[in-house]
Amino acid sequence: MKQPYFFGIRHLSPAGAYYLREFLEEKQPKLVLVEGPSDFKDMMGDMVKEETKPPIAILAYTKEAPVRTILYPFAEYSPEYQAVCWCQEKKRECRFMDLPSEVFLALQQAVEQLEWKEIMEQEAEGENNEVTVSEHKLRRKDVYERLSEATGEDGQETFWERSMEHVLEMEQYHQGSNVFGASLRGMDEKPDRDMAETVIREAYMCRQIKKAVAEGIAPEDIVVVTGSYHVEGLKLWQQEDGSSFAMTDQEEQSLKRVEASHTLMPYSYYRLSTRAGYGAGNKAPAYYELLWEGRKQQDDDYAASCYLTKLAVYQRNQGNAASSAQVIEALRLAKALAAMRGGATPTLRDLQDAAVTCLGEGNFAKISLAVADTEIGNRIGALPEGVSRTSIQEDFYRKLKEWNLEKYRDLTAQDLKLDLRENRKVVSKKSAFLDLHRSFFLHQLRVLGISFAKEQAVSQENATWAEHWVLRWTPESEIELVESALKGDTIAQAVSFVLKEQVEKASQMSHVAKAIEDAFFCGMAQAVQYATSALQGMAVSAVSVTELAETAHRLSVVVQYGNIRQVESQVLIPILQQLYYRSCLILADSCICDDSAAKEIMVAMEQWNQVALAHDFLEEDKWVHALEDTAFRDDLNTMLSGFAAAILMERSKLTTEQLRAEVQRRLSKGVPAELGAGWFEGLSKKNPYALIARLSLWESLDQYISSLEEEEFKRALVFLRRAFADFSAREKDQVAENLGEIWGLNGSQVSEVVNGQLDGDAMEVIEGLEDFDFDF
Amino acid sequence: MLLSALEINSRKLGEHMEEQILRLPAEQLFQKEIDALIKAEKDPIPTGWKMSPKSVKTYICGGKVGRTVITPKYIGQERLVEIAIATLVTDRALLLIGEPGTAKSWLSEHLTAAINGDSTKVVQGTAGTTEEQIRYSWNYAMLIAQGPSKEAMLKSPIFHAMETGTIARMEEISRCASEVQDALISILSEKRISVPELGMEVAAQKGFSVIATANTRDKGVNEMSAALKRRFNIVVLPSPDNLQSEMDIVRTRVAQLSGSLDLNAELPEEDVVEKVCTIFRELRLGETLDRTQKVKTPTGVLSTAEAISLLCNSMALAGSFGDGSISAEDLAAGLQGAVVKDEDKDAIAWKEYLENVMKKRGSQWLGLYSACKELNKG
Repeated sequence: MKQPYFFGIRHLSPAGAYYLREFLEEKQPKLVLVEGPSDFKDMMGDMVKEETKPPIAILAYTKEAPVRTILYPFAEYSPEYQAVCWCQEKKRECRFMDLPSEVFLALQQAVEQLEWKEIMEQEAEGENNEVTVSEHKLRRKDVYERLSEATGEDGQETFWERSMEHVLEMEQYHQGSNVFGASLRGMDEKPDRDMAETVIREAYMCRQIKKAVAEGIAPEDIVVVTGSYHVEGLKLWQQEDGSSFAMTDQEEQSLKRVEASHTLMPYSYYRLSTRAGYGAGNKAPAYYELLWEGRKQQDDDYAASCYLTKLAVYQRNQGNAASSAQVIEALRLAKALAAMRGGATPTLRDLQDAAVTCLGEGNFAKISLAVADTEIGNRIGALPEGVSRTSIQEDFYRKLKEWNLEKYRDLTAQDLKLDLRENRKVVSKKSAFLDLHRSFFLHQLRVLGISFAKEQAVSQENATWAEHWVLRWTPESEIELVESALKGDTIAQAVSFVLKEQVEKASQMSHVAKAIEDAFFCGMAQAVQYATSALQGMAVSAVSVTELAETAHRLSVVVQYGNIRQVESQVLIPILQQLYYRSCLILADSCICDDSAAKEIMVAMEQWNQVALAHDFLEEDKWVHALEDTAFRDDLNTMLSGFAAAILMERSKLTTEQLRAEVQRRLSKGVPAELGAGWFEGLSKKNPYALIARLSLWESLDQYISSLEEEEFKRALVFLRRAFADFSAREKDQVAENLGEIWGLNGSQVSEVVNGQLDGDAMEVIEGLEDFDFDF
Repeated sequence: MLLSALEINSRKLGEHMEEQILRLPAEQLFQKEIDALIKAEKDPIPTGWKMSPKSVKTYICGGKVGRTVITPKYIGQERLVEIAIATLVTDRALLLIGEPGTAKSWLSEHLTAAINGDSTKVVQGTAGTTEEQIRYSWNYAMLIAQGPSKEAMLKSPIFHAMETGTIARMEEISRCASEVQDALISILSEKRISVPELGMEVAAQKGFSVIATANTRDKGVNEMSAALKRRFNIVVLPSPDNLQSEMDIVRTRVAQLSGSLDLNAELPEEDVVEKVCTIFRELRLGETLDRTQKVKTPTGVLSTAEAISLLCNSMALAGSFGDGSISAEDLAAGLQGAVVKDEDKDAIAWKEYLENVMKKRGSQWLGLYSACKELNKG
C-alpha cells in the first residue's frame, strides 16, 4: 500500500512554514493531518478567522486541582498554523491527529506520580540509584553534545538555523528535516518513560492515519505534518507485511483520561521567548518573524539586514551612536562569520556577535537592551471578539457589564474614583452599593495579578471610604485573565483559590494576615473565615512582638472597617484577643535588645497601642500592665522603657508625681549618661506636647543636668541633642518657655538662645563630641 | 604528551635557527605548522592571504592537519578568534582590547603570522610615538642632498603593509598621544596615504588591514577617540574564565618559553602551577575560588602573563642557583615581587592573604606559606 506524504517540521520554523505551503500546493492533498491534540479540532475555525492575529495559543487544563496544563503556542510562522490556514483557504479538510488533551494531561499526571514514587524509593534505597539517574541525564545531554561536536556548531539552535532555516529549496528542507529527525531518533537513548510516551503518541497518530485511509481517502491524497522526530515512527502505520503499529480500538478505549477544558488565547512574543521545551527555537520570536518575512519576500538577506537595522534604530532612539556605516560593517562581518562555517546567510549567533563587535565596541552590555528588543519584540496576539472565551473570561465580561465598567476597557488609562459608602439617593440596593462592588471586583483582579486595574494611594482623611483606581486594558491583561482560568471558573473562585494557596504556603503569621486583609478587600467573607482558622493555628507558635503587632495591625483594620465593606469580621475578634494577650505577656522581655532592634519594637508598640485603643473588646488593663512593667524595669533597653512611659503618660496612666519620681530615678547621678539620655529619648519620641505640658519634668531634667560633672555632661549632651533633634521650632519655643519659668527668665530670651544657630565655638565643641569615646 | 612534544619541537627549532636570537617571530617558530596548513589547504583563500580563514583558526586554536599536530596558540573562547579572523576577511581593521596579560599582542602576532607569514610589520605605540612613525618620514641627509625622492623616503610598517597588501600591527595604540592615534583615521577610512612632497598618493593593495591592541586598565593610557573606535571592529579579550583554562595557558606558555630560554630547570609541577594560578585568580577577583571569603585586591593587575613570567623566573632561579626544580623559596620570591608593587597597600593585602587564606589551606600549602612568611618578616 502507498504511504501518505510525510512532512517533518520543527515547531516555530519559518522555513518549515514556507516550504510546507509550497509542498501542499504541489501535492494538493484532500486531507492534512497536523500534529496537535485531536480534540482541538473545534478551535481551527477561530484560529484562521480574519481578525485572529498570531501569536496565539491553545491552552488545555484539568478542571480539578492540582491544575495541570498543556500549552500549544502558534506564531504566524508555525508550520502547523500555516497548514491550518492553507486548508482553510483551499477548502480542504484539516485534522489534528495527536492524543486528545485529556489523555495528555492524564499522562502528565501519571508521570508526575511515577517520578514522585521513584524519588521516594530512591531515598529509601540510599545512594545507589543516584548513579543510574545521573547516567541517564548524561546520556541525554550527550545527544546534543555529539550533535554540536559533529557539526562544529556551538549549539543545536545554531546548527538548526544554519542547516535548515536558510535552505534554498523546498525538497532540501523536506528531505533534510526527515533525515534530521531520523538521525535524532538513532542517537537518542531516552529513558524508558519518555520513550513510552512517544510510543503511545505515535501509535495514536498511526491510528488516525489508518482511520483516514479507511474512510476512503487515498494515502497519496494525505499530507501528514509532524515533528521531524516522529516521521519514521508514523511510517509504521502500515508495514510491508501488512501489520500495523496503529493503536487498536481496545487500546484507545483503555487510555486514561482526565476531565479537561481547552481554550484559544492570545499570546505574546515575550511569553513565547520565556518558554523552554516545547518547540525549541523560540528564544528570539521577533527575529524568526523577520526570517518569515524574508521568506515571503524571497529575500535571503532580509532578516539579517533588518535585524541589524532595527538594533541600530533602537540604539539611536536611546541616544547612542549607531551609524548606517556601522550597520553595513556589521552585516559584512556577520556574512564573513557565516562564510567561515560554510554558510551564505548569517545565523542569529553570527548577527549577535557582529553587532557586539561593530555596534557595541566589543561589549555585549552596551547593546543588550537593543538585542532583547529586536529579538523578542513586543508583539501580542489578538482574537476576534467573543471567540472561545473561558468561563472566567465570560464571568469577567459579565461583571464588567454588571458593574458598569465596560467603558474602561480601553487602551488609554482612565481614572476611577470610588465612594464605598451607601448612595442614599438611589432606590435599588445594587446601585446604592455600586462603588463598593466595583471595589471588590477591582481588588479581586489585583489579587489575581491581572494588570487591568492599578490602585492609587488616597489621601488620609477619607481613606476608609474612598478609593482611586487607574484602569487600562491591554492584550496582556487578556492573557493574564485566561491564565487565571486555571485557578477557577469565575473570578471569585479564582481569588479564593489564590488566597487559599497563599494561606497554605505562608510561613509567617503576617502573610496569613495579609491574605485575610486581601480577602476583606475583595469582599470574600468565606476566605476571611478560612484564613482566620489557619491563623489561629499559627498564632500558638508565633513568638516575636513585631510579627504579632504586624498581624494585629492588619486584622484590626479589617475589624474596624468591616462595616463599610459589609463583611462579617466578628470571627477575627477572638484571635485578635489571643494575639493581644500573648503580646502583653512577652512585651517586657522582648525589650532586652540593642538599639537597632529597639526601633522595630518601638514601631510594634505603637501599632499595638493603636490596636488597643481602637477596640473595646481588648482589655485595657492588660496592656497598661505590660507597659508599666516595661517602663519601670531597669534591665531593659532604656529607650523602650522611656517609650513605654510616654505611652502610659499619654493614656494618663502615669501621674505627674510618678513621672517626676521616674525622671529623677532614671536621670540620677551615677546612672551612665547614655542610659539616662536614651531613656529620655524614648520618652520624647511619642508626644513632645505631653512632655512640654509638664513643668515638673523640666525641673527634674534641669536639676539632673546641673548635677553632672564636665565629662558626664559631654556624654549626656550627645544623647540629649539626639533626643531633641526631632522637635520642631515651635516645640523648642515651648520648651524654652518652661525653662524660662524655672530659671525665672523671660521665655522669649531663652527661646532665642535655644532656637538660635550655634556659634562657631559651640559647633566645634559639639563636632568634637561626635568622635567621643563612650567605651569607658 | 602534546606538551612535551611541543617542548622538544621548540627546542629543536631553537637549536636549528640562529641560536643567538632571543625570541624568534611566530612564523619562524611555527614554520612547520604553517607549511603543513598551507599544503593541506582546501578552502578558498582571500586575496593577499596565505591560507583560508578556517586554516587560520586551526593554526590559532589548535587541531590536526594530516599528521602534523597544530598546537593551540590561544586558549580561550574560540568564537572570539573567529570574529577576529572574519573581521580581517572583510578588510576591516581589528582592535583587540583587554586587561594586561590577556594575550592581545600574542594573538595579533599569530594572526599576522598565519595570514601573511609575516608578523614583523609592527609599530610599537609609546607616549613618544609620532605621526611620522605611522605614515612615513625622511632620510634627512638624502632629503637635503637630493630633495624629496622615493629613495629618501622612510616608509612606516603601515605604509609597507599598504603597498604589499598585508596586515600591519599597531601595538599599545592607547599609549600614543591622541593626535597620533588619529593619524590612523584617514588611513583606515580612505585606505590610502598621500605624499604631498612627491605629489603622489599610495593606495592600499587588497589584503591590507591593521590589527591594533589596547589596554584597558594600565595607568598612562589615552582614551581613544570615538571616530577612531568606529573604524575598528572591536574584540574584547577576557581574562581566562576558570582556573583550569588559566592553568592550561600557563603550562603551555611556560613550556614554550623554557625551551627557547634554556632555563636548565624542570618544568613546574602540576601543583605548583595550580597554586600560582589559584593565588593570582583569588587576588585578582577579590575572593577565594570557593567564593566563601573576600580578600583584598592588590594594586597590580596580576595577569596570566605575569603568572607565566613568574614561573619562568622561578625556573631560572632554580636552574641557576638551586637544584633545578622549583622550590617553595623560589616561588615565594617570585610571588612577593609580583604581588607587592606599591609597598604599603600591597604588602598589607599580601600578608592578610597569607594569614587568612593560605595558612588555613592545610599541609599542601604549608611549605609555600612558610617561605612567603619568611620573606615578610618584620
